[in-house]
Amino acid sequence: MSQAQNTGQVMKAVIRIQRFNPDVDRKPYLADYPLDITDDTTLLDALETIKNELDGSLTFRRSCRHAICGSCAMNINGKNTLVCNRRVKAFLDGKGRVTIRPLPYLPIIKDLVVDRSAFWEQYLRVKPWLIPPASYNENQAPNSEFRVMPEEVAALKNAETCIMCGACYSACSVVGMNKKYIGPHALLKSFLRVMDPRDSAPAERLENVGGDDGVFRCHTIFNCIDVCPKGLNPTQAIETLRKLAQKRRDFEAARVERQKTLEADHV
Amino acid sequence: MRVFVLQRVTAVALVVFLTLHMIVVHYPPGHLDFSRVMVRLANPVWKVIDILFLLSVLVHALAGAYAVLIDAERIMPYKRILAWGAIALGVVAFIYGTITIINFKVLV
Amino acid sequence: MYKTTGFISFVFRRVSGLALVIYLFMHMLVIGSVNGGPEAFNARMAMMQTPIFRFFEVALLAAVVYHAFDGIRLLIVHWFNVTQYRTSLFYAMFVMFVIVTLVGGVPIILFALEGH
Ligand code: SF4
Ligand code: FES
Repeated sequence: MSQAQNTGQVMKAVIRIQRFNPDVDRKPYLADYPLDITDDTTLLDALETIKNELDGSLTFRRSCRHAICGSCAMNINGKNTLVCNRRVKAFLDGKGRVTIRPLPYLPIIKDLVVDRSAFWEQYLRVKPWLIPPASYNENQAPNSEFRVMPEEVAALKNAETCIMCGACYSACSVVGMNKKYIGPHALLKSFLRVMDPRDSAPAERLENVGGDDGVFRCHTIFNCIDVCPKGLNPTQAIETLRKLAQKRRDFEAARVERQKTLEADHV
Repeated sequence: MRVFVLQRVTAVALVVFLTLHMIVVHYPPGHLDFSRVMVRLANPVWKVIDILFLLSVLVHALAGAYAVLIDAERIMPYKRILAWGAIALGVVAFIYGTITIINFKVLV
Repeated sequence: MYKTTGFISFVFRRVSGLALVIYLFMHMLVIGSVNGGPEAFNARMAMMQTPIFRFFEVALLAAVVYHAFDGIRLLIVHWFNVTQYRTSLFYAMFVMFVIVTLVGGVPIILFALEGH
């Protein structure tokens, strides 16, 4: 199946997977699955092959298969990443083995599936949606867009491309100690909204994330940058929010001014 | 945020104070006793510097310990109590330390 | 568990920080002996200057210097938006830490070995 398009040499690999079935097992354990792979086999292909051909009880999340839905983040050889866009070959150690575990610090539901409720609860805390300018009327379709300058878009640092995979959240040592911490994913989202000229509530947001369970709980460990499959930088977002939180009134005043021009453009 | 700002401000102050302290008090390494300390502390300017140093080091130490403690999810709900405890401890230690510094005087 | 430079620096920062807090209060009590007069102070200071304590002093110096350079690194990250250099910054700070500890620590050890 997964070896249908055989573009490379076939080689042997051992996929070591952390298994756990709460109905039978007391503790998670590691199981080895020998497999033939090619250069092109992704980690997700390997998991699918194991599920289809070796052990149908293997449980994991996946959906899009091309790094956009964010459901397949797992811990590979100790580092969080997506499994659908990574090739097995790149992760094999000297013994031709790769170890797949569920995301750390989160309760395991079964095998590689973890309970991500804490992740989503923290996400909702920062009001991840855009709060539009006053002139925006919900009941009437706008006839033009709010025009934003290229520099303003650049200042968002691609934060809008986050796919909510949870790799950063579950790599964060602070999250490991304290689930009340908002977490890198949600702080990055808050940064995105705060920096967006169309957003009307930056001061409220900065107040919300400016407590000691928000940006000031971050200990600048950088794990979130190291693991993000989209190359985003939550730590820098947090540092920026820290600085803005200390002058949130001025920042809000500047935003009010900016939105006047934004609305003048928007006819 | 307040804790964070205090921590950074005192951090910068400490880089200066502590370098100074290490150099003037301990180098060249030698036997430390009352008379050696007095050479410096006879000057009231040094007393003021030492009191400021004491203040920043206490703020930094207690704010740091507080931050380490409330990192733990179980301790976080008690952060008010902890904060007041740290402030009380800080005040007592500051008074004690200031008395100590002032007590370095040449006895007549 | 993540064994990145960021995580390692974080653990060292905590451990050195907590050790220094404990040391600070002990230090204040020792120096506080001057409240009992210069003689009490001199007696206490003599106790603290046996060779054994000299080696503790080097450990103390290492903790202070590590904590200071790590703090400077964090201040740099906070003010200058340089997260992309995080690993090099860590190594640079670690090298500085080793150099300054040696420069400060070797004279102390030598002094202790001379046995004054
Ligand atoms: S910031 Fe990166 S690692 Fe974190 S949830 Fe978004 S895409 Fe995933
Ligand atoms: S399956 Fe959608 S991101 Fe991997």
